[in-house]
Amino acid sequence: MAYVIDLKACINCGLCRRNCPTECISYFRTGHRTHVIDAAGCIDCDICAKLCPVDCISVDRAYRPDPERLEAAKERARQWARRRRQEQLAARAAAQRIVAAIPAGR
Amino acid sequence: MSKLTEKLRNSPSRRNPPYRPLVRIDDEERESLRRKIGGVENYNGQSLRELVVAAPENIELRKAMVSSIMSAEFAGIDAFSRKVVEWQEWDVPESLLLAMARQTWDEVRHAQLSKGLLESYGGVVGEYPDTLAGGQGGPQARAAAAGDGNGNGQAAQQAQATAGEALMRNPIASLSMTNVSLEGAALTLFRGTSELGHKVGDRLMEHCYDYNWADEVTHVTIGDYFVKQLTAGDPQKERFALMAHARHEMMRGNLSPAQAEEIKAFFAEEMDRAEEALVSQAGPEPASGYR
Repeated sequence: MAYVIDLKACINCGLCRRNCPTECISYFRTGHRTHVIDAAGCIDCDICAKLCPVDCISVDRAYRPDPERLEAAKERARQWARRRRQEQLAARAAAQRIVAAIPAGR
Repeated sequence: MSKLTEKLRNSPSRRNPPYRPLVRIDDEERESLRRKIGGVENYNGQSLRELVVAAPENIELRKAMVSSIMSAEFAGIDAFSRKVVEWQEWDVPESLLLAMARQTWDEVRHAQLSKGLLESYGGVVGEYPDTLAGGQGGPQARAAAAGDGNGNGQAAQQAQATAGEALMRNPIASLSMTNVSLEGAALTLFRGTSELGHKVGDRLMEHCYDYNWADEVTHVTIGDYFVKQLTAGDPQKERFALMAHARHEMMRGNLSPAQAEEIKAFFAEEMDRAEEALVSQAGPEPASGYR
């Protein structure tokens, strides 16, 4: 399985591209104003389809992934999730330090 | 150029209370921001959302967050209303002008929503400075974008502001940068702020920004629809639209390494194309060289 974008319905908001954990959605590299999912990098996480504001992303059930490339994509997704988690924790810790130092908030 | 367009282009944006861009506030106000939100560097939507999560009981942080969003809405009213007039000079469909008028009204409604929310926290418009330069189109904005004259790189800032302004006067570039790129990113901002409202039990915040989010979807749709229409059958114009979009994403920052890499590759390809075009225009080499 892999996800595909219906190019006619897509509004190019970029939400899917900015949130894809394997970063397998291209826009500027396609040569056209079209968002395209690289099926080989898709891990069927469903994030893009859930986020799409115009519901133009669906599953291509006929696609059969190459097991090695799928595993590599999953590893990229794990790294992405770890990186994002670390960023979130760092931002939260920084926010805690700031609010603790705000005189008006005490 | 029509008289109205000319008058508009040379008129500074005005508001009551007046625009007070963050880059031009005085030391006293900086100190006030330090006391209220921990510093001027925290006066942006992303940082303030984190601060609200960290201290949901501190209403001052919500006031600051809503004020920062509202300031962008005011700039939106200014920018889109100017397009309605200025683009009448361009060969664009009448329906695009109407879409810009509709979008101006949407921004008015968003400003009203933020104003109402701010007032529900006991705040008032003008209590916090503006996050943006204060009006997108007038000379005041140019001056503000260029800084106060004391900072380094003023010429570069001015050049960038002027280049951005020139691009904004082209409907394909403007729609790509504002409607598609900026409003596309605003989807994340408004979804996040609505979710924040849910998280801290603020139903009004949750509802207001969910409403804004839905409008942003329409704005991106409008932008994408007209960029497609204005570039149809013309690959050069389509590349131009992509370039404007890429430039805007790069300037906005906050890109992952892979996203930055994609934009870098795009511009490298553009450079290759430009070089090929130059070489082909130069013609064949002279057989015996120059004397």
